[in-house]
Amino acid sequence: MNLQPKENKLVSPYFAFYLINTMQVGVGVLGFQRYIAKSAGHDAWMAVITGGILIHLLVWMSYRMLKNSGGDLVAVHEDIAGKAIGGALSTLFTVYSGFLALTVLRTYIEVIQVWMFPHINIWGISLILLGVVYYFVSGGFRIVTALGFFSVILGTPLIFLKYFAVKDSHIYNILPLFDHSVTDFFVATKTMTLNYLGFEMLLLYYPFIKHPEKSEKWSQWGVFFTILVYTITAVESFAYYSQGQLKHTIWATLTLWKIVEFPFVERFEYIGISMWLFVVLPNVCIAVWCVTRGFKRVYSIKQKHTLIPVLILIFAGTLFFKDRQEIDLLNSLVSKAGYYIIYFYIPLLFVLHWLVLKVRRKKDA
Amino acid sequence: MFGKRRQKKQDRSQNQSPRQTKTRLTFEQLMEKCGASKDFVSFTKSDKHPFTISYYKSMVNPDLVHKDLIPYLTRYSSLSLKELSREIPVENIEHTSDVQTIMDSLLTGSVIVQSRPGKSDCLLIPAATTEKRQISVPETEFSVVGPKEAFTETLEVNINMVRKRLPIPELHVKEVTVGKLSKTRVVILYIDGIVNMENVNTLKQRISAIEYDHILDSSYILQMISDNQYSPFPQLINTERPDRVAAVLSEGKVAVLVDGSPSALTGPTTLVEFFSAFEDYFLSWHIASVFRMIRLFSVLFSVLSTPLYVAVLTFHYEMIPTDLLGTLIASRSGIPFPPIVEAIILELAIELLREAGARLPSKVGQTIGIVGGICIGTAAVQAGLTSNVLLIIVALAALASFTTPVYQMSNTIRLIRFPFLIFAQFWGLLGVAICSAFVLGHMLRLTSLGRPFLAPLFPLRMTDLKDALFRLPFNRQSLRPLQMRPEDPVRFNSQRGLQKNDIEE
Repeated sequence: MNLQPKENKLVSPYFAFYLINTMQVGVGVLGFQRYIAKSAGHDAWMAVITGGILIHLLVWMSYRMLKNSGGDLVAVHEDIAGKAIGGALSTLFTVYSGFLALTVLRTYIEVIQVWMFPHINIWGISLILLGVVYYFVSGGFRIVTALGFFSVILGTPLIFLKYFAVKDSHIYNILPLFDHSVTDFFVATKTMTLNYLGFEMLLLYYPFIKHPEKSEKWSQWGVFFTILVYTITAVESFAYYSQGQLKHTIWATLTLWKIVEFPFVERFEYIGISMWLFVVLPNVCIAVWCVTRGFKRVYSIKQKHTLIPVLILIFAGTLFFKDRQEIDLLNSLVSKAGYYIIYFYIPLLFVLHWLVLKVRRKKDA
Repeated sequence: MFGKRRQKKQDRSQNQSPRQTKTRLTFEQLMEKCGASKDFVSFTKSDKHPFTISYYKSMVNPDLVHKDLIPYLTRYSSLSLKELSREIPVENIEHTSDVQTIMDSLLTGSVIVQSRPGKSDCLLIPAATTEKRQISVPETEFSVVGPKEAFTETLEVNINMVRKRLPIPELHVKEVTVGKLSKTRVVILYIDGIVNMENVNTLKQRISAIEYDHILDSSYILQMISDNQYSPFPQLINTERPDRVAAVLSEGKVAVLVDGSPSALTGPTTLVEFFSAFEDYFLSWHIASVFRMIRLFSVLFSVLSTPLYVAVLTFHYEMIPTDLLGTLIASRSGIPFPPIVEAIILELAIELLREAGARLPSKVGQTIGIVGGICIGTAAVQAGLTSNVLLIIVALAALASFTTPVYQMSNTIRLIRFPFLIFAQFWGLLGVAICSAFVLGHMLRLTSLGRPFLAPLFPLRMTDLKDALFRLPFNRQSLRPLQMRPEDPVRFNSQRGLQKNDIEE
């Protein structure tokens, strides 16, 4: 089993910034405002920051764990639980990655359905999008990373569109500060972490970063940038919408784009949604890549052999979840799984792995 | 699967080799074979002078034979071949009896001299004649300022033009012969000590692996040695400017010259290099940078403008501002076709004009351009077949595609517009984005001689950006591009280049 990929397949440490950031900014940012405002109201933007700080901590834990294991999550699992149980746990994680890809893709298709083409054939658009995914993933991790890089470069300028909303917003909407109870904050923070999901893919692509120890600061910067994007979006949305309006706005960010007006183009959300393809694609690609990589690590199946079946399963999945309720169910299921993985599983692994290594070191000595 | 195929290939080549030895000619057979052509001469001057002279009339310089060969043969008729070779005032005379060598040199313009007819022991005297074209002004890569020399079809002259610009012994020239029938001489140039030998070896290995019967231009080689032969993007630069070749050689690239071809190939190359004209280095850096930006913008415009028109008018007409809507409605109201049909008709018409202009002699070509562009365009709008807004867009897009300095690339750009059009018709703006994703993925996967094609954008190399999308002044160009992994990355001492004197010094 080749644990260490070939040198010419690795990416430079600073790409960790793009990999982490691109994976966290996805379809969530288009409409997370309503969910976090449900509990913490106009104070929810602070939950964005507290949630982000927790992510910083989790990234720190992941790096400690990965450095000590000298590999990826599969190696950590094997250290702790042995080959059989460890393999089973890794498989579960891999399946979760697959569901993450499915959720992102299906939600994006839903956005297309709601905002651009109400009568579009789901299978058609799903097929062509998965075709793009196949093209990128079959190019290898470097190509997927490159997509993440271009995604950040192309997606970030869209933040400046907030300028149009700033003109019409009232900063008093987010005042007074600290108007909600600690429990409300806690619930909002919990809801918010779901948008930060995706960084845990690091556990699988870690060996593909050149000098991975050096990439930690880039990863942390990536998380920081994510927090910045979400905070700006949240503050702006809360200043623009009243809380009553926000309750009925499913895609708050998209609605903000609607008011953008240039002399040569109106209804900017069409351009925005099209460009959002570049933000969504790396999410799907990285997750799908992680699925194939996971299977390769656990079962030694060639990645090119798992890629097509995985894509077919995701294709079937996009057809299976039909309407808003089902997609919402899918979203909340995957979020719940992600919530447990990042808040309970990663810290647990961190502690266990630390203990196991300590005991082993003692035995050796 | 691959192993089996390779084995089969090996078997075949093993079968081939004994057949080749069987068909090996004897000297008599060779003479007979050559004698079948009308332009082959073989004669003995007289009984007194026993030497027999044979050559292809069409390949040999007659002056040399008359002035420098026949007089000596008659004067020294009693000498042996070996002694004779010392007397004849021509260099590189070979004395051999190997039939294969004799045949090769006969066919490249040597005169063979035998001591007696029928004896295979003979002298090979190089006397090839080369008719060459005058060195002319570069046509596809014309520049207003700077040198006005372009490569010609003669390999020696081309190498001379490069070596004249880089008179250093480190400029190495390696020759490979390819093509079963054409026996084309292909030359690889590089500067030893700057170039990364990995690039040279890759290139050499790929060129010697070419199996084809005739290689008549460097563009054959360009396609055959590309990393991805199925890609519409050229992966090596084709240039007709010796100054450009000299410049890229000093960056650590490798150049390929082909006998009989007036253009050189250079590589490894990147996408942005296709949009830098060599004239950029003759203009001040601000102007050059702005021009490069304009070129890049024009490429984007050229590829995306018509697809966006189709996407917006077919699906997203809400996006058009009210003031603009009036103009569009006025121009499209009488048109019987949907936007996609209208766009495809016009795009094809422009391609038609370009192709007709390219195939016709230049004087007629100009007329066709004017007739087609002005008359047909105006007539089509007045007849109500196309809208004049689209006509403007299509004409501008065609114009924009011609700003690309490398001809192969500008063709590619016009070609990839069509898939974009089709995607725009299917999924509107989203389709354009999907098609862009495919193109981006394709370019990311491309390599040129094994080096990433999209560098310095990906992988991001900050130091290489100084001469990519824009061009910084020469004193900032102290390092050669990292892309080629040059052995000696330093062009000059940057400290000295950037030193600033105090106000009063």
